[in-house]
Amino acid sequence: MVKLVENQVISHKEFEMIKITDEVRKVVEESGIKNGLVAVITKHTTTGIMVNEALPCVEKDIEMQLDRLVPNDYPYVHTHMLPTYGTCSGNAPGHLKSMLAGNHCLFPVIDGKMMTGGEQNIYFVELDGLQIRKYFIEVIGE
Amino acid sequence: MVIDIHAHPLLLDEINENPEDLQFRRQEFGVFKSGINPVDFELTLLEDAKIDKVVFLPEDYSTEVGRAIVSNDEMARIVARSPEHFIGFAGIDPRREDAEEELIRAFDELKLAGLKLNLSRLHMYPDDACLAPLYKICQEKNKPIMFHAGYSWEPNTPAKYSEPIRFEDVAVDYPDLRFCLAHMGWPWWQETIMMLMKYPNVYADTSMVYMDSPKNYYEHLFSVNMNLNWLQNCFQDKVMFGSNNPRFRHVRSLAGIKNLPLREDVMDAILGGNAMRFLGMED
Repeated sequence: MVKLVENQVISHKEFEMIKITDEVRKVVEESGIKNGLVAVITKHTTTGIMVNEALPCVEKDIEMQLDRLVPNDYPYVHTHMLPTYGTCSGNAPGHLKSMLAGNHCLFPVIDGKMMTGGEQNIYFVELDGLQIRKYFIEVIGE
Repeated sequence: MVIDIHAHPLLLDEINENPEDLQFRRQEFGVFKSGINPVDFELTLLEDAKIDKVVFLPEDYSTEVGRAIVSNDEMARIVARSPEHFIGFAGIDPRREDAEEELIRAFDELKLAGLKLNLSRLHMYPDDACLAPLYKICQEKNKPIMFHAGYSWEPNTPAKYSEPIRFEDVAVDYPDLRFCLAHMGWPWWQETIMMLMKYPNVYADTSMVYMDSPKNYYEHLFSVNMNLNWLQNCFQDKVMFGSNNPRFRHVRSLAGIKNLPLREDVMDAILGGNAMRFLGMED
């Protein structure tokens, strides 16, 4: 059996780590699926799905490390008008940070619950805010 | 006071309840993949960017495509959602039989603040006879005109109709009509700065990032193509901040301007003071 839910999130900063662990747990528990996997997948190319410890210091280190690896001010190629969009491609850092962050995570579902380590939280990570965003939660199992 | 003098409201949810409306606007304006922008979220974007007011520009080619991209009534609805933040211009297809009546209605009844014309899209030079009545109405009612000038991202827009020097007769014949040569008239920015220096009623805006990032582009245009002191000392009272949103984000265009090493008084003028005078808000 497969249960798919699409959630919306609104980011309020250029970089923002938005905890969605509770939303994922709720979808799993309401899915009727007892054993299997849950996947969390972003719909975008300048966002990420991360799993990490929900401490402000860790979140800040993640932000600072991404900024060190992908500076805002750099001669990126993806910095020009896109004729097929009619808008400017000024978000190369978001795309590159998204590559580092990854677009999904997976957790086991056992006895109808998502199994995580004690300090594991799931984040929807905005890397090109502010924007209105969407992500999938898909529960697969029996 | 920070004013974004150049933005387009065609993606706002207020006027796009019907998906066919959004598709029509995307195709006609040439923003093919952008999604709907809720008005409440637009206000959040402005607050985040620390922009106090935004001027929304509609366009009307209804004699050709059957309806305005954004009508004057739709613009009035948008402004009504947040009059403190939104300033709406009128759009009139000058080929409409009721063009003069509609412009007067837009100003007197709908309280719109100026007129937007893209003559490249209309395939019409600034001295076209059908434009004169609209110029007279704007001058009499003290309403400015935002002319597209130079390169347009919109489909079917030959630049020759919007070369800055073509607007010189309008500046001379209507000395009390304030008008803006949008996009700095790029690539004819030299013609534009001549117009800015010579004619008190001519303004320009910064919605002109045609290549590179706003930061790099503004730096190059004002500091390499020009000398920054030309902007600071020769036409500092004529250039207005404009983002060209949704083609560019308000916040990123603004950051590009703020990055310029300008005197504080010049920065204040470009970010809002000049727009207040252009809009007649200082009267």
